[in-house]
Amino acid sequence: MTSSPRRITALAMGAIAALTLAACTGSSGSKPSSTQSGGVVQITLSHGYTDVEAKAVTAQVATWNASNPKIQVKLVFNGGNDGALQKTLAGLAAGSSPDIAYEFGSSMAALAGRSQVVDLSNKVKDSSFKWTDFYSFERDAATSSGKVYGVPALVDNLALVYNKKLFDNAGLAYPTDSWTWDDFRAAAKKLTDASRKQYGWAYVADGSEDTTWRWLAMLWQAGGDLVSADGKKAAFDSPAGLKATQLLHDMAVTDKSVYLDQGNGNYLNLFNSGKIGMLWTGPWDLSSINSDVNYGVQILPAAEGTHSSIAGPDNWMVFNNGAAREQAAWTFLTWLTSAQTHGEFTLATGDLPTRASETKLDSYTGYLAKYPGDAVFVLNLGNVTKARPNTKSYPQVSQAIGSQMQGVLIGQTAPQSALTAAAQQADGALASGQ
Amino acid sequence: MTSATAPPAAGPSPVHRRPSVLLRVWWSDTFAGWAFISPTVLLIGLFGLVPVVWAFVLSFEQNDLISPGRWVGLDNYRKLLHDPAFSNSVRNTVVYTLVFVPVCVIGSLLVAALLNRRIRGITFYRVAVFIPVVTSTVATATMFNWLLDPDFGVVNAALNKVGIASQGFFRDPKEALLAIVLMTVWGWLGFGVIIYLAALQSVSADLLEAAAIDGCTRWRAFWRVEVPLLAPATLFLVIWLTINSLQLFDEIFVTTKGGPVGSTTVVVYYLYVQAFQFFNGGYASAIAYALFMAILVITAIQLKVGRRLSHGER
Repeated sequence: MTSSPRRITALAMGAIAALTLAACTGSSGSKPSSTQSGGVVQITLSHGYTDVEAKAVTAQVATWNASNPKIQVKLVFNGGNDGALQKTLAGLAAGSSPDIAYEFGSSMAALAGRSQVVDLSNKVKDSSFKWTDFYSFERDAATSSGKVYGVPALVDNLALVYNKKLFDNAGLAYPTDSWTWDDFRAAAKKLTDASRKQYGWAYVADGSEDTTWRWLAMLWQAGGDLVSADGKKAAFDSPAGLKATQLLHDMAVTDKSVYLDQGNGNYLNLFNSGKIGMLWTGPWDLSSINSDVNYGVQILPAAEGTHSSIAGPDNWMVFNNGAAREQAAWTFLTWLTSAQTHGEFTLATGDLPTRASETKLDSYTGYLAKYPGDAVFVLNLGNVTKARPNTKSYPQVSQAIGSQMQGVLIGQTAPQSALTAAAQQADGALASGQ
Repeated sequence: MTSATAPPAAGPSPVHRRPSVLLRVWWSDTFAGWAFISPTVLLIGLFGLVPVVWAFVLSFEQNDLISPGRWVGLDNYRKLLHDPAFSNSVRNTVVYTLVFVPVCVIGSLLVAALLNRRIRGITFYRVAVFIPVVTSTVATATMFNWLLDPDFGVVNAALNKVGIASQGFFRDPKEALLAIVLMTVWGWLGFGVIIYLAALQSVSADLLEAAAIDGCTRWRAFWRVEVPLLAPATLFLVIWLTINSLQLFDEIFVTTKGGPVGSTTVVVYYLYVQAFQFFNGGYASAIAYALFMAILVITAIQLKVGRRLSHGER
């Protein structure tokens, strides 16, 4: 009973526990290091850029910091944009947010309207900001319930990317900007060669948003809509919806001209090895196409005369950390998203212009020369006429459609019953959601 | 003892005054014990118990995990009973468990028996069997995605060579769950083998020798002597693998994402979708508690039945 060293050790362990507890309580509630001293405002910008984009944004922030001693910007890497929303929500719950954060467009509904998220509606109205210079679908995607909560940070869209060699081998003319669904289906069928395991088209059939958004482009091409004007009912169980779903069924099940990717990105490897003739994809995939693959880019085929495409614009969002920092964040963001600054960013990275006036900059010809594949994607921004709804129930609507389309693609579900089932689930989600 | 003879009027001598409360606490074993484990208690409390209790509270709320929740009583649990997607996930989980656990246990036993001998390069074989256990799930899934690709996979190519038509695997709603079983058995087999190998090596050589002297063949000795002695190891494995298969998630997340058409949506994957895609934190917590209760009951039954069986065998 007198072994005092043991007792001292025990006491030490207890002390460690107490310290841990103190450290835990001490850190929660504290704001990220950003002080305001001597008239200098420090703000943080959280992003998930890697590679060339990270290099470009770092260089731009360094330029800003050198010429603006009163507003100093600190870049924080969020660990990858895939987890940006979860990280932001955790930050909000803990009471510590960056001043500006990069957020996926799909995160808008989850963030809009929260007290810490700054309503930018009045700020963007300032004529010097030139809000209407952004494409209209970008502005829609930055808006929720009539209020603006984001500034477009990145834009993309879906276009038709095709392997020229496979078209030549099949004796087919290249896709044109007046292609119809019939032209598209016939070409896919002709490009398919079961004996060589060659497919005309590839479709991501994992039942996720990846499955849903390509179908949405088809729905819009056929003149349909996802939800009713008041956003309370599903509107896609319509003749247009059936037409789009029927095309998927006819190509995947009847013609067997579609490679069904299971969400692991195999389609790109197979496109590289000449097993797939056409993709509906965005500019992000171009850098992964091997240099020995001679590919072309064309706008999507039309039904009912419209070549609608779909875009998933991402946003910069501003968080409230006091008036001074909010003002500084807005001043910086105005500069970062100006046509001039973003034009330089696109030249360094190959990203698409977010403002229409960027295509009028002197540097734009240099951009097209450096990224020839992007020309059609920029043109195609004009074909993006609708945006996905920014509602909290959208993920459930998306999942209902994705899962049912998966059933259609593998020949398990008939087009009409898939639509009926998806619309029923979507109605339930829309009725109970916000 | 001197105090016994001292006159009571003199009062207790200093030596025999009861030590102060602080001193008694300081010298007690209870205090030392708690002080020693306090860092662990604190960490487990913070990161284990607090979330467990919080989730229990959440399960009675409608809560998007960020804004303050709204108390809804038992509504979430009531909803479970009428949610076809939830009953589908329960069905998938039960089917998976009923196939995975027996296949994995029997497979482990057979491989362990093969590896329990002195042959050249035995260490290599044992390591080879164990490597899948320590391979990351994502790597395993990527490999199986390619192996089982319906169009370009090696497995279908091999099947075609012997005249069997191509299978859909992860793409076919009827086969996807079995493909997951195949992948997870590959990943877990090494674990079972290690448990059985350890148990086999503790079987006394005397018993086997006695059986041999009594005219027992090697095969009969295995079934009649060794397998019954492995009962405790089997019980442990069955319980461990059952709990793990009821909580199956990673393998689904990185391969089929619950598809095609919900055919591999298991309970924990459904929970994840509700919590982190739809932000229905309250409903997801109710699912978690329903699963917890199910695991508790199943494990209790397994323990009871298992103990009775293994005692009966001896």
